[in-house]
This record gives sequence, structure tokens and C-alpha cells, in this order.
Amino acid sequence: MSDGGDVFLADYLRSSRKKVVFIIVMTIAAVGAVLLTLGFGVYTISIPDAISVFWNHVTGQVSWVKADHYVWDVRFPRALGALVVGAGLAFAGAIMQNDMRNPLAEPYTMGIASGAFLGAVLSLVLGFSLIPGLSGDWATVINAFVFSVIPTVVIMIVSQFRKMTPTAMILVGIALLFLFSSISQVLMVTAPAETLADAYNWRVGTLSKVTWDNLPIMAAIVAAICIPLYFLSSKLDVMYLGDRAASTLGVNANRLRLITMLLVSLMTGAVVSFTGTIGFIGLVGPHVARILVGSKNRYLLPASAAFGAAFLILADTLAKVCGPSGLPVGVISAMVGGPLFIYILVRQKKSAWA
Amino acid sequence: MTTETLPCSKEDLVQKYHRQIVRKCILIAAVIVGIVLTVGLLSVSTYDSISLTEAYQVIWGHITGVSYEPRSNLWWADRYIWNRALPRAVVAILAGASLAACGALMQSILANPLADPYSTGISSGACFGAVAAIIVGVSYADLAGEAGIVTNAFIGALIPALMIVLLAERIHMTPATMILIGTAISYFFNSLVTFMMVTTDADTLKSAYLWQIGSFDGLTWSSVPVMLAVTVVGCTAVLWLSAKLNVASLGDNTAISLGLDIRKFRIMCLILMSFMTAAVIAFTGIIGFVGIIAPHLVRIFTGADNRFVVPTSMGVGALLLSIADYIALSFADLPVGVIMALIGSPIFFILIIWQRKSTGAIY
Repeated sequence: MSDGGDVFLADYLRSSRKKVVFIIVMTIAAVGAVLLTLGFGVYTISIPDAISVFWNHVTGQVSWVKADHYVWDVRFPRALGALVVGAGLAFAGAIMQNDMRNPLAEPYTMGIASGAFLGAVLSLVLGFSLIPGLSGDWATVINAFVFSVIPTVVIMIVSQFRKMTPTAMILVGIALLFLFSSISQVLMVTAPAETLADAYNWRVGTLSKVTWDNLPIMAAIVAAICIPLYFLSSKLDVMYLGDRAASTLGVNANRLRLITMLLVSLMTGAVVSFTGTIGFIGLVGPHVARILVGSKNRYLLPASAAFGAAFLILADTLAKVCGPSGLPVGVISAMVGGPLFIYILVRQKKSAWA
Repeated sequence: MTTETLPCSKEDLVQKYHRQIVRKCILIAAVIVGIVLTVGLLSVSTYDSISLTEAYQVIWGHITGVSYEPRSNLWWADRYIWNRALPRAVVAILAGASLAACGALMQSILANPLADPYSTGISSGACFGAVAAIIVGVSYADLAGEAGIVTNAFIGALIPALMIVLLAERIHMTPATMILIGTAISYFFNSLVTFMMVTTDADTLKSAYLWQIGSFDGLTWSSVPVMLAVTVVGCTAVLWLSAKLNVASLGDNTAISLGLDIRKFRIMCLILMSFMTAAVIAFTGIIGFVGIIAPHLVRIFTGADNRFVVPTSMGVGALLLSIADYIALSFADLPVGVIMALIGSPIFFILIIWQRKSTGAIY
């Protein structure tokens, strides 16, 4: 009997170790990719040169001023931005899929993307700003953030006077999503072609807008929300069993769902309002992590974040070298990641989804 | 559903069941009346110097072959209504019915409320075909202009389904994996579309964007025959399958033990739905909302039995799209898909929140 127990324990420890190793490898890959991506961009600097320029800046011996500007002021914040956005969106996706118990759920399921887009379109097409007197990029950012949170707030309010099952929440989310996107579409189709192109490009999402001005805000919000949520991972596991099972085990699934959704929405809104709606990684990142480490949130959440960060920064590196002025990262991540994801799905031995 | 009312007599239950059926029949009848009324209103709004009853007379007259004195009021009315209002009305009805039926089908076979006709990437495939025709001028069938866009969109829409069918041999297709493969395919095609969109000039982007939103502008009778044939055959097939859909939505294990080969069934439904959706969106562009919302609206009123949900969804879908088209044509010069989502989503929102248990809702 005790022998059997030892075998199980050893087996369990071995599989846990494998998961931890995966998370560490992904994290190292992400950090390594930061050094790699410093060497890519419009201005040609070789990778070793870029790394030495970077090192010189850190040690305070700037010699090559132009390269220093590109590496330190443009590429480094963009690279860190890719890590923050990738980790944040994939983490958010993992939480949403868990909350909704639906593999189609992603950070944008509750209408966050269409809300943010409406806010941005109001600013880009009509020049409307929620904060009077503000114009330009920051007006777009503030608008996008405020509108992105509206759907979640509506769901919170509704759930105060009516019990909301996950399905009802999804449906409310869909209703708001269509409402917002139809308003945006009205504005888009009546706008002149140039303005429409601006708005369209905003929605595609790009990391080129990440600078030292906005990176700290994004990073702080993502860290401040991801870390506390990680400590809820065992409760999230229990919630995944279903609301009844959860309440039998002493977890108030409804309340937990609302709290985690609100936090995730704030985080997604903060990211999206700076970068535009970067798709794919929030949905697919958690699924890849799930195939590799399983559905236990203690491993799934960090694995999603690490994979999301590594994937997005590599995709962004590729996006930077495509075409004369680069491509939006969302395009490359779906173009490369889509087939890759199908391959992973076909190759997996047993289904990771019940 | 009836477990809490079990301690009552058999007669009560039978009576209750009959009352439910009566309510469902009333709903279907109301929907049909609504569609007929909308067609009349649409006719009047294209030629406004006749009354509503005259509009019906003119339509009926055209079908029965009545001829009018050239250049008289009714002669003009006949030309306007028959050539401008009716193609749109027929397309609205066909598209609404077809998309709603496909939505109900997808939500059942994938057992997922988020599913819609576009869940497996059909819309992004179609979009890729159409945008390739609009922006790059590439056509699968060596046709230029409008016909090139339509054939490209149709063929493009079938590619994702083909990929899923080919992959189905190699992979255990649970609803979750099928959804994920569909999502991956749709992201892939969307990225190609986005690539073309961001690298083109602003004006071409605008025309490609307008195709995506979906519109009935410029539709003539020539668009109708293909759509009519596919939709009628497809909708009949979905109706015939609706009892099996109930079994499929119970989950794979239950379905298998009830004697349904769920994997084959799912693939068959997917192929059927792809043709139906492709035949509609190739002509109209990507009309969203109706495919996902119509079945949910019906379930709020009649419960989840697909034998009712499928036909009623078709009616509700047709009605929604007809009303949106009427508003788009007579009040606002906007694409029909936008109008429908703009008006439909607040109504849907309120219905979701205010639904009562007694109507047999499942959410």
C-alpha cells in the first residue's frame, strides 16, 4: 500500500517538475527574445552590436548616440511591452476560459474589445474626448479604457439583482459587443476613407506605440492584477468543477467569478487602450499552455503568461522585419500561430478538454 | 423542467404541454404575419404613392400575371416593387432564415452558446476570397468585378470546412477541438485579410470594409436563384435533422449511447451548414448578429427543443433581417447588418435579463 503511494507521489512530483521546467524554459525564452529583438527594426544594427549598445547604456557609457536612441528609446520599451501585453492577455484568457467554462472565451468575450474600439473610434473619427480639452493619443487611450470597462460594469450591475449563470453572462456580453460594434460601424461607414483607415489600423493593434511614457503604466497594472489573481488559483480550480460543486466545497463561485472578471477586464482594458486590440494570443495562448501543462491553474496561469510573452515577442520580432515599415503584430501572430496551433492540436495525444 | 410540478395529475401535465404547443404556434404565426407586413411596408417605401393594400395587390397581381396600362400609377408601382423592393425582401428572408437555422445547428452540435454560423471560420474564408478580389483583383474563377467577388467569397467560405473535414480523419473531434480548429483557421484567414487591408490604400480599404459589414444594396433578382435553391434544400435538411440535434446537444457520450454517430453527424452538419452560409454571404457580405441571436431569442420563449427552435429561428431570423432592411432602406442609409445589431442588441439584452423561468428558458 505504501509502495503504491510512493509510486503515485513520485509520478506526481515528476509531472509537476516537468510543468515547472516548461514554465522556466518559456520564461528564459521570453527574456532571451528581448535581446534578440533589439537587433531588428527600421535602422540596421546587428544583434551583437545592439546588445553591446544596450549594455553600454546600462553601464552608462553611451558612445553610438543614434544606435543608442533606437535600441534604448524605441526597441527596448517595445520589447518589454511585448512581454507585458503577451503575458497579460494570455493570463486574462486563461482566467476567462476558467470563469466561463468555455474554450471559446477570451479576454475580449465580454465586449471589452468592441467597447475599447468604440471609445477609440469616437476619438479618432469624431474627435470626441471624455476628458474635455484632451486631444490626440491620450484622448484615444482614455476613451478606449473607459469604454472597455463599461460591459463588465453592466454585467456587475445586472448580477446584483439577477442571478447570472456563465451562459447568461456570455449572452449579455454578446449583446453589448454587438451594440458597441454596430455604433462603431455606423461611425466608420460614414467616415471618410482616410479616417476609416486610421480607425481600422487602431483596431488591428500594434506594439509600435509602446514607449517609456506608457510602458510603466501598463506593466504596473498587469503586475498588480496578475499576482493577486495567481493566489486565487486553487479557488479557480474549484470553480471550474461547476457552481454547485464549488459551493459544496466552500467557494462562492458567483462572487469569485465577478471579482476575477472585473480584475481581468481592468487589465485587458489597460493593455488594449494603449496597443489596440491584439487578438489571437489571449485565446490561443492558454490553450497551448493547457495542452502542455494541463488545466490546473497553479501551473496553467504562469505557463500561459510565460508562453504568451515569449510568443508575442517572437511574433513582434518577425513583424518588424516584414515589409519596409513592418506589419502589425496581430497579423503575424495569427498567420504563423494559426497553422502552428492546428499542428499542436492534431499532434496532442489525448484531449486536454473534457 | 417539470420536476417541480410533478405532484399533479396526468391531465394537468397534458394540458400544460398543449398550452405550451399553442403558445409556440402563436409565436410562429405572429412571426409569419410580421414578415408579410414588413414586405408590404418595404414595398410602399420604395414606391410611396400607393397604399399598403394596393402594394399587396400589385405583388399578387404580378405573380398571377395581371398587366397594367403602361405608365399608369400601378404600372410604375409594379415595376418599382417587383424590381427594387422584392429582390431585397426575398434575400432578407432567405438570408435571415438560413443564417438563423445554421446558428441553431452550430449551437447544438457544438453545445456552445457562443457558436454561430461563422464559428468554424466560414466568414473569414469568405472574407479572404472577397477581399482578395477587391484589393488584389485575384479571382479563383477568372471572373472580374461583382461576379468575381461572389465566386471568390463562395469558394473561400468552403475552404475552412474542407480543412476541418480533412483534419477530422486525424484527430478526435470533440466540440472543443472543433471550435479551436475553427478559431485557428478563422484567425489565420483574418490575418491574411488584415494584411491586405493594412497594406492597401484608404479607398480600397473602405470598399473592402463595407463588403465585410454586409449590405443588400444593389441586389437584383439575378442573386436570388442560387441562394433560394441552397436555402430551401438546406433549411429542409436542417428541419429534418432537428430531432437528432436534440440528441447531439446532450453531449457526445449520451448521443452515442442513444445510437447517434456523433462524429459523422457533426461533420455532416458542418458541410451542410457551410454550403448554406456560403450561398448567403457570397452575395450579401458577412451579416452577423442574426445567426447567433435568433436561436437564443427563440429559446428564451419556447425552451430548447430543436424541433421548435429550428423552424421558429428561421422565422425570427427572416423577420429580424426584413425589419432591419426596411429601416435601412427607408430611414437610414446604412448597411443592414449595422441596423440589425444596433436595434436588436438592446432588445436582446433586455430579454436576457428579464426572462422568466416559466417560459422554459435554459439560461
